[in-house]
Amino acid sequence: MAAIDNLPAAPVAARKRWGNRLDRLEARTAFFFLLPGLIGMILFLVVPIVASVVLSFTNWKLLGQPQFVGISNYVRLFTADPQFWPVLRNTLFFTAEYLVLNIVISLGLAVWISSLKYGQKWFRVIFFLPTFTPGIAVAIVWMLIFAPNGFFDFVMGSLSIHMPSMLTDQKLAMQAVVIVSLWAGVGYNTVLFNAALDMVPKNYLEAARIDGANAWDRFWKIRLPLISPTLFFGTVMTAITSLQVFDQIYVMTRGGPGNATATLGYTIYQRGFQNFQMGYASTIAWVMFALIMALTAMQFWLQRKWVHYDN
Amino acid sequence: MKLSNVLATALLASSAFIATAHAQEQVNLTWQMWGDENDTELFTSLADLVTAEYPNIKVTPQFSGWTDYWTRLPVLASSGQIADIVAMQSMRMPSFHSILEPLNPHFEADGFDTSVFEPSIMAGLSHEGTQYALPYDVGPWLVYYNRDKFAAAGLEEPALDWTFDDFKAAAAALTEGQTYGYAVQAFDFIAGPVALGAEYFNDADQFELTNPGYVDAVTKYAELVSVDKVSPVFASGAGAVTGSGHFAAGTAAMYIDGPWVLLQTKDSVDFEIGVAPLPHGEGDSRFITAGSGWGISAASQHKEEAYKALQILTGPKAAEILASAGRALPGRVAEQTYWYDVAAKDVAGTREVLAFMFEHTTPFRINEYWNEFENLITQYMPVALNGDSTPEAVLADIQSQLPF
Repeated sequence: MAAIDNLPAAPVAARKRWGNRLDRLEARTAFFFLLPGLIGMILFLVVPIVASVVLSFTNWKLLGQPQFVGISNYVRLFTADPQFWPVLRNTLFFTAEYLVLNIVISLGLAVWISSLKYGQKWFRVIFFLPTFTPGIAVAIVWMLIFAPNGFFDFVMGSLSIHMPSMLTDQKLAMQAVVIVSLWAGVGYNTVLFNAALDMVPKNYLEAARIDGANAWDRFWKIRLPLISPTLFFGTVMTAITSLQVFDQIYVMTRGGPGNATATLGYTIYQRGFQNFQMGYASTIAWVMFALIMALTAMQFWLQRKWVHYDN
Repeated sequence: MKLSNVLATALLASSAFIATAHAQEQVNLTWQMWGDENDTELFTSLADLVTAEYPNIKVTPQFSGWTDYWTRLPVLASSGQIADIVAMQSMRMPSFHSILEPLNPHFEADGFDTSVFEPSIMAGLSHEGTQYALPYDVGPWLVYYNRDKFAAAGLEEPALDWTFDDFKAAAAALTEGQTYGYAVQAFDFIAGPVALGAEYFNDADQFELTNPGYVDAVTKYAELVSVDKVSPVFASGAGAVTGSGHFAAGTAAMYIDGPWVLLQTKDSVDFEIGVAPLPHGEGDSRFITAGSGWGISAASQHKEEAYKALQILTGPKAAEILASAGRALPGRVAEQTYWYDVAAKDVAGTREVLAFMFEHTTPFRINEYWNEFENLITQYMPVALNGDSTPEAVLADIQSQLPF
């Protein structure tokens, strides 16, 4: 006791700031409980993120010592690299087309499934199957289907439809990537939207029907506004994943033919792991991060216009 | 009792110490290369040769897939986890020589005779005059052809000095509907033009893809697809491998690849195959070779032992084992005969064709941007093949992205 009484004043003040002894003990215990997660997060998230910022200002080539090159990677990206603007255009084009088609198709399927009297569960499972199929495997199978003189060309030939082979045509190659992405990605949103539609209170729809609203009005004026928070979530998540598109392109087209399907995600891989320009790849990664941040922020800003939170 | 206990403990401790001291002489070397579990047995038998010669050296092979190998290699090297003995391919040497130990001082120290190896691959595994690896295989790109289709079309089989016009005429005669005379792959736009006498580099070993000679040679090969329609277009996603698929399926009568695929090609087809040199142009025949070997990691703690092991792994007995198994056309000239007699015995013309090609090799000129160049050829060349663009414009486009 005497030892405690003789403590200098400073720790007492600190103790006050930290609350009473019990709080302090709990805080310490909590800290140790949180420590494993914190260490993991610092090691595997914070350090790599900080490292990639630092790397983006160097010319590191994986082997040898990195040299600090200032903002020259960024200058080169925006002014000298002949591929950056086509790649950015491809990425935005893919995102726009895929996002619209994904949301429209998955919402359509969700509405259709929720209207079924029987077999809802089965259809949900069937449409969800591609979501837990490995993306690379999906892309390989589709690549074989779309390969020159492959199954797709055979079917088109049998139907007497004359068109260039999907993967060797500069315009069609991106459409092939969109088709594969839709096949793999629609199921998740379908299940998400379907669950949201099932949550719409039956009595709202019942009341609307009694008041004479037809199915079209009930969908646009009641169901859609009520599922808009889920719709918003689905849109944001789909936009983010489509801006990062990589697997399908890596397997099916390697960015080609020409630069027709070169996107930011694929370019980062190409520069970083094929050409070993880690510094430059980090620069592109940060530009991609900024782009995703900006577009997501814009979506959050726009949501005020169309997302309705019931409570 | 107590004294005896102490003595016994002391004895135990000293014997343990002796055991440790003895174990320290034992050197365990790691050996990293590409391959899969099927290769384990073969390469373990090579590693055993080292232990048979030097009982204190044990070599353990470690495998990863071909694509992964090249992604992992720089990561392992920069994190200090690289193996003692490292596999290296000639075309990757400009990018990776810095992680390997120069071998010339070792050669000078023990008077090692390097003339037993095929000279073009020794050059391929060196960088700016310094040797960084010893080869286990070598081979030039050559033309594989379907002998049954040649016979059915009433064509003579290719001569050693056939020209591009002969090649084109054969491809045209062998094309019928969806069955093509030839299936082009991305690398054909490198090996093919060189055989025609073209250069993709300037004198300073920098890319100069738009020089008239190279544009002309690439155009010749591209027009086989875009104008003459004697070959299918390849898709950028699989540009490097589509030809072998067409050839094996019988939908193309000729394709270009190296002797390293001979064994698997032979086993995957149900027709007679033959090999021929690449067709030449106005000038003499000239061919580039590639191959792989093993070097010593610059970071190895046991360089002397690794050098001893390397000599066994690239020695005559090891070459005989790999050649007889069909795994490699040896970099050692004397042991190539095992490959001809065993792996290639059912394939027409291998011995004559390869002897002719080795006599007419030309240095395979590469620089540190080589991989980017190959990837860009695969990605962009389909645009010239499907008629969307011209070979000249495509080469200018690739040039604008090199070197970066």
